[in-house]
Formats: sequence, C-alpha cells, structure tokens
Amino acid sequence: MKKTNLLIATLLLFASSAVSAQEKVILKGKELFGDISARHLGPALMSGRITDLEMHPTNNKIVYTATAGGGVWKSYDGGASFAPIFDGHIQSIGCVAIDPSKPDQNIWVGTGETWTRNSVSVGDGIYKSTDGGQNWKNMGLPKSDRISSIVVDPKNSDVVWVGVLGALWGDSEERGIYKTTDGGTTWKKEFYVDAKTGCSDLIMDPKNANIMYASFWEFRRTGWSFSSGGTQSALYKSVDGGKTWNKIHNGFPQGKLGRIAIAVAPTNSNILYSVLETEKSDKNGLYRSDDAGATWKHLNSDFGLVVRPFYFSRIVVDPKNPEIVVKAGLMGSISRDGGKTFKSLGNMHGDIHDVTFDINDSNRMYSGTDGGVYRSWDGGSTMEMVSSLPVSQFYHVSIDDNEPYNVYGGLQDNGSWYGPSKSPGGIEARDWTRVGYGDGFRVVKHPSKNIIYSEMQGAENVWRFNIDSQELITIQPLAVKGDPKLRFNWNTPMEVSKKQTDRLYIGSQFVHKSEDMGRTWTKISPDLTTNDPKKMNQENSGGLSKDNSGAENHCTLFTIAESPLNENIIWAGSDDGNIQVTKDGGKTWTNVVANIIGLPKNTWCYHIEASVFGEGTAYAVFEGHTKNDYAPYTYKTTDFGKTWKSIITADVDGFVRNIQEDYINENLLFLGTEKGLYITIDGGSNWSHFTNKMPSVAIHHMELNKKTNDLVMATHGRGIIILDDISPLRQINQVVLNKDLHFFDLKPAVIEEQSSFGTTATELEFVGNNPSSSAQIIYYLKKRHTLGKMDLEIQDENGNKITTLTPGKQKGINVVNWNYNMKNPKIAAGKTLSYYGFTAPRVAEGNYKAVLTKGKETYTYMLKVVNDPKSSISAADRQKERKITRVLFNMNEELAYTVYEIDQTNSLLTELMAKDKAYTKEATKIKTAFDNLKAKLVVTTGDNYVGAAEPQLREKLGELYANIASSFTAPSPSQLENMEAIKQRFDNSINEFKTLKSKHEASYQKKAKESNIPFVLKPFNEFVTE
Amino acid sequence: MKTLKLSIVAFLFSIVSTSVFAQSADEVISKYFTTIGGVEKLKPLKGVKMEMSINAQGMEIPVEMVQLAGGKMYVKISLQGKEITQMASDGKTIWNTNFMTMKAEKSDAETTANAILSNNDFPDALLDYKAKGYAAEFIGKETKEGTECFKIKFTKKPVTVDGVKMDDISYYYFDTENYLAIATETEIKQGPMKGQKSVSTMSDYQEVDGVFFPFSMNMGGQDMKIKKVTLNPTVADSAFAFPAQ
Repeated sequence: MKKTNLLIATLLLFASSAVSAQEKVILKGKELFGDISARHLGPALMSGRITDLEMHPTNNKIVYTATAGGGVWKSYDGGASFAPIFDGHIQSIGCVAIDPSKPDQNIWVGTGETWTRNSVSVGDGIYKSTDGGQNWKNMGLPKSDRISSIVVDPKNSDVVWVGVLGALWGDSEERGIYKTTDGGTTWKKEFYVDAKTGCSDLIMDPKNANIMYASFWEFRRTGWSFSSGGTQSALYKSVDGGKTWNKIHNGFPQGKLGRIAIAVAPTNSNILYSVLETEKSDKNGLYRSDDAGATWKHLNSDFGLVVRPFYFSRIVVDPKNPEIVVKAGLMGSISRDGGKTFKSLGNMHGDIHDVTFDINDSNRMYSGTDGGVYRSWDGGSTMEMVSSLPVSQFYHVSIDDNEPYNVYGGLQDNGSWYGPSKSPGGIEARDWTRVGYGDGFRVVKHPSKNIIYSEMQGAENVWRFNIDSQELITIQPLAVKGDPKLRFNWNTPMEVSKKQTDRLYIGSQFVHKSEDMGRTWTKISPDLTTNDPKKMNQENSGGLSKDNSGAENHCTLFTIAESPLNENIIWAGSDDGNIQVTKDGGKTWTNVVANIIGLPKNTWCYHIEASVFGEGTAYAVFEGHTKNDYAPYTYKTTDFGKTWKSIITADVDGFVRNIQEDYINENLLFLGTEKGLYITIDGGSNWSHFTNKMPSVAIHHMELNKKTNDLVMATHGRGIIILDDISPLRQINQVVLNKDLHFFDLKPAVIEEQSSFGTTATELEFVGNNPSSSAQIIYYLKKRHTLGKMDLEIQDENGNKITTLTPGKQKGINVVNWNYNMKNPKIAAGKTLSYYGFTAPRVAEGNYKAVLTKGKETYTYMLKVVNDPKSSISAADRQKERKITRVLFNMNEELAYTVYEIDQTNSLLTELMAKDKAYTKEATKIKTAFDNLKAKLVVTTGDNYVGAAEPQLREKLGELYANIASSFTAPSPSQLENMEAIKQRFDNSINEFKTLKSKHEASYQKKAKESNIPFVLKPFNEFVTE
Repeated sequence: MKTLKLSIVAFLFSIVSTSVFAQSADEVISKYFTTIGGVEKLKPLKGVKMEMSINAQGMEIPVEMVQLAGGKMYVKISLQGKEITQMASDGKTIWNTNFMTMKAEKSDAETTANAILSNNDFPDALLDYKAKGYAAEFIGKETKEGTECFKIKFTKKPVTVDGVKMDDISYYYFDTENYLAIATETEIKQGPMKGQKSVSTMSDYQEVDGVFFPFSMNMGGQDMKIKKVTLNPTVADSAFAFPAQ
C-alpha cells in the first residue's frame, strides 16, 4: 500500500513538473542560439600537438590527423590542407583507424590522448563514421578514458579490436583489449591485466588476422608525480585471433618494464621492432625480432630511441622496405639499416609523436609533432609545415582595450603570442607576434602602457616586454633571505591589478605583489597551500625514466583574483584545493574551502572570478581530473566565501576549468568545460551547450570584452575562439521566449571606414575570420517559419524602401546582416558588363527601420546607423559625397533608359523592315543614326577582359560613379573636373538622342501603327526598378 | 508490485521505442510527398520553370531556372540587360558561359559525367529513388534550424572527383511536425572548402497548381527567392543545347 502511494506521488510529481514546464520556456542549445556562432582566430602558424596520423590504404590523397585537443582532421589533397571532421565530440584523440575493406566509409576514432603529459585531456569512448567522417556515432566504451589502438578485421568490417590504455589518474578496470563482432554495438573484454596496466599498443600481422601483438603498460600520474613502469608491463602475442595471449620476452631484460612500442614490417611479418623502457639505461631502446617475436635482439639505445617513453612510443616501418624504420622522439629518428643506426629527421617542431609513409612513394612522409603536421618529399630530410591546422593549445587568454582589441596567450610547447581580433582580409599568420619561449601560459598587457608580461613554465622566466622600445627584462619573483624554496606551478598565476595599473601579482605558494611592474616584489601572504611535503618529491618523478620537467610542481597557487570593486579584496586558489581570501590587501587571509559543501578535499582550484556585482561575490571553479574525478564543480558566494552554492546542473557534461560572468546581467554566465562552452541565462538553473561552430573543445580560460561584449576563449586545442557580441543573450527572459518574434536591442551599427585590401595567405593557409562589419538585425523566433511568405525590408524613417534582405527563418535567434548598401543603379545594356554598376550607394548615418512581414503580421525594429567614430571626415564632406553620388547614379540610370529606348526602337525598325521591304531604306537610315549614337554611349564590341573595347560614356560615367560612391569623403577637385567633362558628353549625347528621336519618331510610330505592331516603352520608373 | 514496475518500464520503453524507431526512411519520404501534394501530382510533371532572384547583399539578380524530365536544364541570370546562361544541360553536354568572353564553354568530362548521373532526378531525387538506384536510410532525430527533424541519409550513384570514385551522400532533414524538408547537407568534395559541409535550407513553402515548393532557399550561403513557378513550361530545345559558335 505504502509503495502504491509512493508510486502515485511520483506520478503526480511527474505531472506537476510537466505542467510547470509548459509555463516556462526552456530552450537548450540549438533551439535557442540559432545564428549566433563562434569565430575562430587560430592561429595555425604554430599549430598544436598531433597524436596520430593515418593514411587511406589505397587513395594517397586521403590522410587523417588526430590531435591532442583539436579533434580529427581530414585531408583530401595528400596533406596539403586539412578540414575538421569531429567537432561535435570530445577533442582529445588517441587514435584513428580506417576500415581496410571499406576505407571510404568506415572510420573509427578512439578518444583520449595516450601521450600522457601533465596537460593531457581525457576521452569518452569510441566513435564510428560510416560516411567517411561526415557523421559520427559514439559506439560505447564510455569509461575507456584513452584508447591507444583500433584494429579492424581486413575481411570483416563488423569485427574490430580495441586497445584501451585507460585512466591516467587512477585505477580502472576498463583497461585491456576489447572486441566487437557486430560493428560496435556490443563489446567484449578479451584480455585484461590489472587496474593499473593498460593496452598501449595493439597491432595485427598484415598477412594473418589471427596473429596480433599487444603491449601493456603500467603507469600512473598524480597532480605531483608521474610513474612509468612496473612488473606488469609486457609485450604479448596471440596466434588464435585474440583468444589467448602469451608474453614474448625472449631477449628482453629482466625486471620492471615501462612503455613498450611495437611494430611489424608490412612487407615481412617475421620482422618486428619494439622499443623498451627498462630498469637499466643500457638496455633501453630498440629491439628487433626476425622470427615474429620468438627471439629479440637489442640494437640501439641512442638518445633518440629512449627519450621520454611516455611521450614518444611510436615505431613505424616503411611500407615497402622492412629495413627503414622511424622512431618518434624529440627530433624523430630514421634508420635505413634495419635499426642498427639512426639519424634525426629534418628540421621541424620538436616532439614527434607519429610518422606515416605515403602508400606509393616512401619518400613522401608525414610527421605529427607538438607543433602540427609536417610533410616531407625526400624521405624525411626536409620538412614542410602544414599551415591549415589551427589546433593550438592555449592555456590562458587576456585582452586589451584597443580597437580592434588584441588577444594575448600562451601555448603548450609553442611560446607566448599576441595578435589582433580583426585584421584586413582576416587574421593570418603574419598578424601574430611572439612574446615568449618554451611553454607559454599567461600573457597580460599593462592596462595603459605598451608593455606585455609573459612567462614560461614554472615561472622559470617572467618577461616584461616594452613593445615600443623593445626592452626585454625578466621579472620573476626570487627567493630572498629566509624564504623557503619558491614553488611555482607549471602554469603560474599572474594578474595585473584593475585598480593600480603598475601593480602585478604572481603566485608561488605565496602571493607576490609588485607596485613597479615587476622590479620589486613583496610577499603579501603566508604559504596559502597545504604545503604537503609528500607532494613535493618531483626530483624522483617519472618512474623507470626520470622525468623532472617541473610539470609536476605541486602545492602551488594556481589562480589569483583581485576584486574589480575593491583592490584590498584578493582571492587565491591553489592546485591542492585551498581557496583563500583577504579583505585587507593581504594582511590577513582566510581559507574558506571548508565552507564548500560537497567538494572533495584537495580538489584543484582552477579559477576564481571576482564579481562586479558585489565585493563579497565570487565564483570558484574546481576540477579534480588529476584525482581521477571528472565531475564539474562550480560555486558562487556572495559573502566572501562564508557560504557557497553550487551552480552546476545535470546539463553540464565534462569537468569545468573556467567561468566568465557578464558585466551587465548577473544571471548570464559562461562556463568553460573540457567538452566546450555552456551558457546559462538564469544564473545556473539551466545550462545550454553552445555548439554553433564551437567544437566540444577544452576551454581553459575566457575573457569578456567590456567594449564589444565579445567572449574570448582560450581553447586547449582549437586556438582562440570568439563569440562576438553576446549582448542579445542578456536580453533573453521568459517574456521574450514567449513572444512569437522579438527583436533584440543592439548598439548602433558603425559604418567602418576600412581598407578593402585582403590578405597574403594562400588557400592552404588558415586565416581567422573577422567579426561582421555589417549592421545586424537580430531577432528571436518562437517557431521556425516554413510555410508561406516571410520578407524583410530596410526602410528609411519615412517608410521608403531602401533594400530587401533575406530574413532568417529558424527557431531561436536569427541574425541578418545589412552592409549599409542601398539599391545599385540600373546600368545601360552593352556588349559587355560594366562592373562599376555593381557598386551601390551607402546610406547616411541615421535611423532606419527593419520591417519584417510574416504572413499577415508585420514586425518593425528601429536601427541606428552611425559613422565611424575614428573617421576625421566632416559632415559637410559626407554630404557632398552623397550628393554627387546621387547625381552620378541618376545619370547612369538616365543613360540606361536612353539605351533601352534606342534598343527598343531599333528592334521595332528591324521588325518593320521585315514586314515591309519598301520601308527598308528609311528604316536603315534611322537605325544607322541610332546605332552610331549608341556606339558612343556604351561599349558595343569586345569582351570583359583584355579583348575590351575602348571605353565609352557608360564606362567613364560608371567608373567615376563607383569611385565616388565607394569612398566616404567629398569628391576631389580632380574628380569634379572629370565629372564636368563626362557631364558635357552626357548632355550632348542625350540632346543628340532627343534630336534624332524628334526627327524620326513620327515616321516609325506611323509605320508601326499601319503595320499593327504595338510600340510601347516601359515608363522610366518601372524600367529602373524591375 | 514487481509486475507493475515491469509494466511501467515496458510502457516507458514502448514510448521511447515508438518515438525513436517508428519512422522508417520510406515512411518519412512518403509523408513528405503527401505533404507537398502527393506522388500522383508529381509523377506526371514534365518540367518546372522557376523565376527567382538571388539576393547578393541588396543587389537582386533575376534568375530563371528550367528543369525538364530527362535531365535538360538551364540556369540563366540577367545582368545589365544581358541574359547569361550560367549552367545548362541538354542531357548530354553540360556547359556554361565564360564571364570574360561571354562565350559558351563545355564543362570538363568528370563534371559532365557526374551531372548526367542525376538526369532522372526530376522532379525530385527522392521520388521512386529505389528505381533510380539510390538508397535512403533513417538515421534518427536531430535539431536543425532550431527544430526537431527526421534525418535521412540519401545515397546516390558514386561520383568521380579528380579521378577517384566517391560516395554521393546527402542528408535530408524533415521537420517532425509537418514532414517538410527544411534542410539538406552534403560534403564539399573539391575546392578550398573541401571536407566541410554545404548546408541548404528551405522555407516559405507555397502551393503552385497543387504542388508545394519552397519559395525561399539558401544554398550553401546563397539566398534565393522564388517569384514564380510554372509547371510544364514550353521551352525550345535550343535553350538547352550548347550553342554553335
């Protein structure tokens, strides 16, 4: 009975929630955001980390590139250029596999990078495309974390083996070898070692699908250490199609092993190459077997073969020659004597993770590095960079208040940079300036001086760079008498004060403050971390191969935020889970992390956003992925951290690294997660995944531009991405969402005066998009318009039509662009086209109406158009420009009508002659006179290129019109003189036409009447508007 | 109690399964044809002439498009009093007008061969698609244009691109509310945009002699507005033929 009551209560609860849901309109993602779409700045000049390269087995034009944080890219032109094909899914990729029997259809992607550096992201399973990469479906293994290998049975597309390396930051029973026999619908674990040891490589004998090799690796990372190797690492072989697996270590050293690479020569299945990480450095490196793994011989332990096995563990054999072998590494190494000796590959970005050979010509090679893909045409000696892969991994972004504003940030293994948010023709490689070496992180501009601060890993250097004088000094805080060792995070926090422009904060375990742009430093805090000695043993980090790069420094501050309202309020968050606040400029600090209910202890404090809406208001973002915890944690306090409220809902998928508040609407928030951007318009009660041109990429940091309202995102894999002008999102509320159509208020549209010169980029180079420079009409539609008419017209204030635009019809937000153009002039018909006639006059500054008609309804929006505030052109000069433009516009149309009249008359005369031979002489005389006149009015011979005829009146008039109409300032005296000359010729021509017409009109009109041929000309107004 | 729970689970499952699996590609396509006027209206069509305008940022360019059963077609634009055939086919030869010389030029052999594969598509590639050797597959529901749609994968005969045979796949999106096609997507196979998706949207459906046509379309970013549709127009054969020069 009790249970039944409960059931009824549950059903009632369902019913009531259904009712309240009807009242409130909640739109998620694609239902709401419509045309609002992200803009990619790149850059691609330094690109980003590549994890895997795959070549189509029969068509060498098709190459796939998998990246560490930028998804999967496909080339159709042999690697000349690449396009992204995996934007809807998590962007950290372990491997790509092409089905050998359906290579144009079936593509598999295993997510989760396997080159397990500290900054590596995570995966969420295996994906399959059956249309060459256009559409993808998640086929399971959601907790696989990182997939190292996918092998498709060459004879049966439904049979696939998957090597799961598994979790990096904790134990996992998901590791091992999986198999499907139904194309990925179901999976069975075929081989498993233990919760610490995953499959790092799985390959198949190219000649025998029953023979497979698998390497297993025992490995673990924490926030403060890395360990590679153990007793469970091993190399296995199966000869029965994966049913049983046996170790093949005959010739390998005893003891613990680390990461093992394995490859089989495509042309000789007996030849295997393996690279070992062992307990003894002289036993590390390359091993070769000539008997399919029965015995092994150690060949080489050069630096290139043994360097950082966790990061470089790929060995590739030439598809035609089993003696040519390439090993991934710091520089990449190639052997042409079967692995006995190696030399480095040609010059390219360091850290080579994968290499692939062309199927037909082994001199053609592709190499995937920490800085993009390189091509070689000469067997790896000379390397050429691919310029269309904007997969750069930003750790951070900041902006200045220039117009257009600049974007500053640092990249994984690619230094620090700044570049413009807008540039003539688009943002290209040459627009970016380097301002730091090594790994780049935070780059900030001095608020008023032309000075940039940048840093490299662990604050080994913090630079102060004067853009004007080129003065470059290092300013990192240094230990003073009595200080313990300063601990700086790999990604050291650095903040410029919003109140004191010369003030700079940098965090070690202390907050350091400088009031003189980094020359002198004071500590304004005690050690704000947990200061746990167990987490400070980085010297011994790495496991079998020591790896003390500084990447594992721990118990450090990670984020510092000064309140925009009060410079004495400063927040600091640490990687070991503290959040501290001072209200007196650093005299006293309070650790408020214990006040957060539900947050696991020692969870990394990734970001603190000090709010503009109250001194005690802040957002804190925590993320626990380095503790194997992928839950999202974001909290808000309004009382200096005494109490916190979680603002995360079930909508948010993926752990959070950053939050950005709007400066106007407290309920509008942007969340940067490991799987992309989420937006809330109700303070976090509901979150929407934003996916319009926005990949599911990890967002490490965001900034909101106060002038432009642009959201600028530092993505760790797709460069800088901008969401232009988010102000319409501020205006969305239940009233708006319940209207059939709602226009959003926008700031006045600026007619920008800019160069029309474009870029120098070739089609193979990535060029970042500029923001729209058009006037925009943005509206919300409650329902998509599909049936019946819907039109949009721009009118002046008095309702006169200026132009028509094509309205957006989708449900949600529609954006229509208007480039300020009015109608272009009607141009006289000639033998050729007059390109000048495609120039339209621009509207003047003022108020305009956008009138949208949908069925019987009419909706009107008033928009304001203003001149470029940067312009020095006077109102009087603008007035002159418009006046002369209109005069020339009208002359063009009058000329067009005259030529139309001549053409109509001449065709009448032709018709009359055909009907009555006796009229031929008279008609020919008149026609010749008109033809002679027309030949002076328009071009009547030649073509549109170098066969062009001598320009006539139409061409001269058109050219002057187009030049003046497309400029902003008054016509020059020279142009006016030119206009006088043209006008004289124009007047003469029109007079000549009138004279001819009055002389002959009576004759052909009479004849037409007699012959019963009607002769009616369209009236001028109809002619010019048709 | 256990049975009750089970039946609820079964009930929920049946709702889920009907909404997910009730549609087959043929059902969606068949409902689409019913909505736009019925197969019996479409099948007898011999040709269609569309008078439309391309809106290029305020500049309205008149365009006339004619398609006849059997592959004859042309697209003619009108610029400054000149009519320029931008693309035409007599069913065998594909040609267009060179803008420099204003003379007709034939398309390359590959483009021609690919275009001829669609000769029997009129009036709609989806009509009797199996007889044409095409395949349709129901993929699921997806939000397009902010609207829930049925997604159909439509595969035509393979085309050849730069000497390599490739699948010719488009995705159709039908509004789940009214079964009208509101968007299609295809992969761009050559040129600088290759690998990206070309999206077309359709709206402003209006009736012409019993058949509904989308009077507003955006094809890969180009807006087109239809002003008039004529069914079974009379057009001289010479309009489709490569002009003698």
